[in-house]
Formats: sequence, C-alpha cells, structure tokens
Amino acid sequence: MNASAQTTGKKLSGQAKGYILLFVLVLLSWGIFKIITPDNFGSAKNMLSYFEASLLAAVGAVGFYFVMVMGMFDFSIGANIMLSAIVGCVFANRFGLGYVGLVAGSIITGALVGLINGAFYVKLRIPSMIVTTGLALIYESVANYIAGGVEQTLPSDLRVFGQMPGNLILAVIAFAVAFLLLNYTKIGTYTYAIGSNEFVAKNMGIKVNKYKVLAFIISGAFLGVMAVLTISYGSSMVAVTGMASMSRNFVPTMGCFFGLAFKKYGMPIPAIIIGEFVINIIFFGFIALGAPTAIQDVITGLALLIIVTLTTKVAKGEIVK
Amino acid sequence: MSDIRLEVKDVSKSFGITRALKRVSFNINKGEIHALIGENGSGKSTLTNSLAGIYQKDDGLFILDGKEIHPHNQLEANNEGISIIVQELGTLDGLTVAENIFLGHEEEFVKCGIKNTKAMNRKANELLKKYGFERIKAGDMIENYNFEDRKLVEIVKATYFSPKIVVIDETTTALSREGREELYKQMKRIRSEGDTVIFISHDLPEVLSLSDSITVLRDGDYIDTIKSSDVDEDGLKKLMVGREVSGNYYRADYGEEISDEVVMSVKNVTVPGLISDVSFDLHKGEILGFGGLSESGMHEIGKACFGASFDREGSVTLADGTEIKDIPTAISHSIAYTSKDRDNESLVMNQSIRDNICLPSLDGLANKARLLSDKKLEDFANTYAKKMSTKMISVNQFVSELSGGNKQKVVLARWIGKDSDILLLDSPTRGIDVKVKQDIYQLMDSMRKAGKSIIMISEELMELIGMCDRIIIMKDGKISGELRRDKDMDENSLIAKMV
Repeated sequence: MNASAQTTGKKLSGQAKGYILLFVLVLLSWGIFKIITPDNFGSAKNMLSYFEASLLAAVGAVGFYFVMVMGMFDFSIGANIMLSAIVGCVFANRFGLGYVGLVAGSIITGALVGLINGAFYVKLRIPSMIVTTGLALIYESVANYIAGGVEQTLPSDLRVFGQMPGNLILAVIAFAVAFLLLNYTKIGTYTYAIGSNEFVAKNMGIKVNKYKVLAFIISGAFLGVMAVLTISYGSSMVAVTGMASMSRNFVPTMGCFFGLAFKKYGMPIPAIIIGEFVINIIFFGFIALGAPTAIQDVITGLALLIIVTLTTKVAKGEIVK
Repeated sequence: MSDIRLEVKDVSKSFGITRALKRVSFNINKGEIHALIGENGSGKSTLTNSLAGIYQKDDGLFILDGKEIHPHNQLEANNEGISIIVQELGTLDGLTVAENIFLGHEEEFVKCGIKNTKAMNRKANELLKKYGFERIKAGDMIENYNFEDRKLVEIVKATYFSPKIVVIDETTTALSREGREELYKQMKRIRSEGDTVIFISHDLPEVLSLSDSITVLRDGDYIDTIKSSDVDEDGLKKLMVGREVSGNYYRADYGEEISDEVVMSVKNVTVPGLISDVSFDLHKGEILGFGGLSESGMHEIGKACFGASFDREGSVTLADGTEIKDIPTAISHSIAYTSKDRDNESLVMNQSIRDNICLPSLDGLANKARLLSDKKLEDFANTYAKKMSTKMISVNQFVSELSGGNKQKVVLARWIGKDSDILLLDSPTRGIDVKVKQDIYQLMDSMRKAGKSIIMISEELMELIGMCDRIIIMKDGKISGELRRDKDMDENSLIAKMV
C-alpha cells in the first residue's frame, strides 16, 4: 500500500519490462508475416532495410513527442516535412549550397514552421489542432509556390543521407540530441511539468508559453531532419496542396503514441524508435503480401489500436481523454 | 533592529465583483508562528496566495524586512524568501521526487545547459534523510507515492532553502498524525531559527497550541491580531464569526436507542490492498462513524458502499434486497457520497455551482419531454445553495472560484437537493471553518432525526465522538473495534484501537 516500496530498483525493472514488451512486438509482427509469406519477407537484409526506412519517421516522432507530452497536437507535420524538404532541396540544388544548404535549409525551415505554429498557438489562444490545421494549408501553398508546381529532385551526389551509413549517423545524432534534451536539460523537466499541470508549472515560475513555443520549435527542427532523410531516401518531393500532406502525419504520430505509451517505463525515445520499426515491419509485410492499400490501412489502424491498448496499462479509475 | 518580518499594508484583491480582501493591514514578526484564521471565504488563502505570487494583489503593499516585494509567481516569491505549502496537491506527475523538490531551482545542477541528475538526486536524498523521510527516494517518479507522502515532499520543497516566511495553508488536514507531528516539528524548527511561519488552519486547538500570535479575517476585512496566550477557543470563534458561538456544537443527546431497522448491510467486503473482510450494518436514523489512521482503509469504506471501489468483493445490500455494485445503482437508490478529495472526486471544477448542485437530480428536474428548464435548474440550485449558506455571487459562478469550505457546501447541497436517505460522508468538515462545521453538524443531526442514515468517516476523533451513535475503528484495512455513543468516551479510548 505504501509507496515507499517503490524504489529505484523497481524503475529499472520497469525499463527492462518495456524493452521486453517492445522486443516481443518486433518478434510477433515479424513472425506473423514470416509465416504467411516466408519467401519475400523478413530476411536479415530485409529487416535492415525496414529499419532504415523506419528511421525517417522515428526522427520526426522524437521531436513531435515534446509537443504531444505537453498535451498539444500538430496537424501540420506533413506540410512541414514537405516545405522543409523543398527548401532544403532548393538551397542545395538551385543555390548550389550542397549538403550545408540541404541540412541547414531543412532544419531551419522546420524550426521556423515550429516557431510560427507555437507563436500562433500561444498568441491566438485557440486549440493547437485548429491552429496547425489552418497553418498546414498555408505551408502547403508556400511549398507549392517555392517549387513552382514542379517536383523537386535532389541530385544523386547529394543523397548520402538516403542510405547507410549516412542516414543512420544523422538519425543517431538526432536521437541523442532528443535524449539529452529530455533527460539532461531543464527543457525536458519543464516539458513534463507543463504536461502534468500547467497551472502549478506556471506558479513555479516556468514560462509556460515560452516552453510551449520551444516545444514546437524543437519538434519543427526534428521534422526538418526527417525532411532531409525523406528527400534523400526518396530522391524527390512533390509540393501537394489541399491538405494532401496530411497523409505524412500518420507514421510519425503513430511512433509518438508508442513513446507516450512507454513513458511510464522511463524509455519514451527507445520506444518511439522501436515502435516505428514495428510499424514498418507491418507495412512491408503487407507489401510482401500484395494486399490492397485499403486493407493495409484497415489492418495497420487496427494494429495500432491493439498495440497501444496492450502496452498502455491504464490504472483503474484513471481518466482517459 | 526591527522585529517586524512582514508588513501587510492596505492589501486589496477582488475576483470579479467579489471583494476578497479589503485594505487589509497588519504586521508579522520574525521568529514566530503566526496563525491566520477566519471563516471560509474570509480571505486567508487569497492573502497568502498573493504574498506567494500565485495571485496578484490589486492594491496595497507587502514589505518584507523593510523592502517592498512584488512576486509574480512562486519562484519569484521563493527568491524573495517566501514559500508556500498549498491546501491541495502541489507536486507534479511525470517528474521525479528530486525534480519536484528543485522545480524552478534547477540552475545549481545545470552546467552548460546540461542537468546533473545524479547530483540533484543526491542532494534531494540528503534532504529527505535530514527530514526523516528516507523511505521517499529522490529518483522515484512522484506518482508512485500517495497523497500524504507527496505532501511530505512539499514540506521539504517549501522549507529546505530556509525561507524567511513559510506559509502553511490548511495542510494538516491532509496529513495523518505522524505527518502532522513532522510538520509541527518543522514549524518549530523554522521559528527557532528566527524565521516565520504563517499558519492557516480551522483546527482552533491546533492553532492555539502552535501559534504565538493570531490574525483574524472576516469577509475580507482585517479584524484583529492577538497573542495566542491571551485568548481561548470561544474567544477566537467569536472573533471569526462576529458573535458568540456555543462551544458545544455537537449532538447533545445520549442514550438514544438505535433503530433495529437495517437500511444497509455490508458483508465481507474486501478491496484488494485497501480493506479486508469488512462487515457491518447501518441502521435507520443512525450516524455510524469510521475512524482510524489515514492509511487504515477507512476512506475506502465510503467508496465501497457507493459502488465506486474497483475489484470489490463481498456485498453491500439495501433493505429492499438491492445489491449496490455500481454508482448509478447507488444514486438511484438514494445513496449520496462525498469524497475526502473534494476537488478531484466530488466537484466539476470548471462548471457552475448550479450545474454541480443539479448534476445527480437532472432526471427529476426534466419535464415530460426530458427537456431541462434554465429557470427550474437555477431555482433548484439557489434553494439548496442558500440552505447551505454558500457564499457566492450567484449560482452561475464557477465552483473553482469558491473557497474550500464553500466548495464543500456545494457538494453537500447537491445531495440534500437529491433528498438522499443514506449519506456516506468522507471527511465532511475537512478545511471547514467553525461556523460551517456547526451548520453541518446541525444538518446531520436533523437528518438523523428525520430518519436518514449517515456514515461519517473522519480523522477528527472529537467530531466522531460528538456526532456518532456508533464508531467503528479501522486498522490495517480491518475493523479493530467498535464503540457505542457514551458521555464518558474520550480520544484515548479510540486511539487505543487505532494504533
């Protein structure tokens, strides 16, 4: 009954439990598709390529986690990735700035988009979902204008981040920065404090609005890194409009759900990385099966609900919103 | 050198058209425990919250050691040398114990922007050990601890940096005897070091035994500051209420027979980890008390009888044979429940007084077409809010704007409006002033006489002795004894069965 029994040792065993759960999920998703389609799915080489593909969304998700943990949301993720990738590509290609233009252009654009999201959210005082949905339309139009309605292609000599080891190095740097920010800076402490009780956090002298804007900027910068990986991996980007960029929201958001579900085990970032890997195993499993897109979406959606339900053990009486 | 630590000069504060503080002025000395008392809504918490930066005063001055201060939040107040332990929970989920203790003060553990978690945990563990709270570990997530342990963490957080003034706002009611003793020890330590404690409590014997001087507020006005040695309990009551209040506000009857008619029968009820194999009967027109230490399981009794416990085993059966397994069944069979955790479990904070009072009675208030009339709801809420003498602007005021005691009145008004036959009251007078306590005791007595049955769960032994026909004592989740109403019963006879 007494909480004094809860010791640091228990926390460590909680982390181990979290890793075991994630490992079981990887094994389960791999095992199911391996049994159904043994020939063209799940070899060691295949698994490595699924992991490489999962790095893209995982980088975006670890940034987005800062926003979600504070209780906010961002519907402009897809538009941000698209705009950042196009700006990075233009800097690298049209302005001849090479890798510096690609990386700096994408990350700065992503962070700027985050700044605009955050500033509009705190100044207008309307829900983040609505603010970011409205702004997503604007970002799409800006991206389309910059691209001139033409598909932007990254030259082949600038695609080091689309393959091993470049993609892995960039992703690992991003994960390390996120881990550092979350666990070893005031930003991480304040992020959780604001997510827990904004009023009390404010009374502790935390500049709540400043840290909310900062969370959007961090999220945006990580989405900028995801944009670098995305355009390097896919080699080009089309500036779509009419909220078509929303389809890019799905995968990073799913990874973020893993992070939130495993927060109680004290390992949100590893959970996001491994979670995105699980999602990719399922995606590629369906591709190997040749399942129609609609069926893929139905099964993936259900898989997400099942995974989060199984891994999120809500205490009895706890209110879920 | 002046003995004055804090000068409060003409401080005013309004919330909308409610004037919570009206040009309040008085002084507080160094090296004293200075109690601040008054009825609910008298402005005590508003004053200390303004001092601690939680509210911004409209007018007036706070002069600390001769220097005017204007804290805009708790951190700024801390930097000026003022800290506060608030009435409700003041720690944050998602953070460790150490992060909660040093929230806003992380700078000493940060180098080049990187936080030294190990050093922070080490320092927090040292502090916890110094306070005698070694069982609380700095690296643990705060949500792993119960309400009382979290309050102990707040005590460390508010006092470790030797502030000049520590405000303790109605904290003792949330603590068990052990926790209270620890708090008292810290208060005395602060005084002995020449610093000041501002102590808010409705427990007048506690106020008289601990404080050196007492300031009384009434309806936002300053009334008087007196030395504790120059006043007694009845004198304080008179100052608080503005007229004589009889010292005997409990029931006066003894020797009345309890009806044989059983209205609720609780058989072998177990809630894993909280209570074990509890059985008792509640009779018509009876006030049945439950006492014990805070962690004895007594607070789960109310929930178990209301169908609100999880994984409950055993049965709770009404006279008509209905078994109470869930809350809707309990409410539809005229059972009411008030929780100890008023803000989180009893009230919808961001809704109006009207909505809160009408909530369980909406079915009865709807017309034949199941539509609700604004006027009917307002009249209903007004009737019962006024019956409980709730201090409010109107029933459309948000409950979150009310003081602790007035919130409790709203909770009780809700169930009186529902005309419940069985009332499960967990800590009904927690954080309530003497006048409202008297009103609640009288209300309970008149309900008892009208044939209503009441279970009263309380950590206040005197009110159990004063109000109950029978008292069941809980220890380690089990019933450890039962006592019947008796003129000669005293606290010691209950304590003997509690520990």
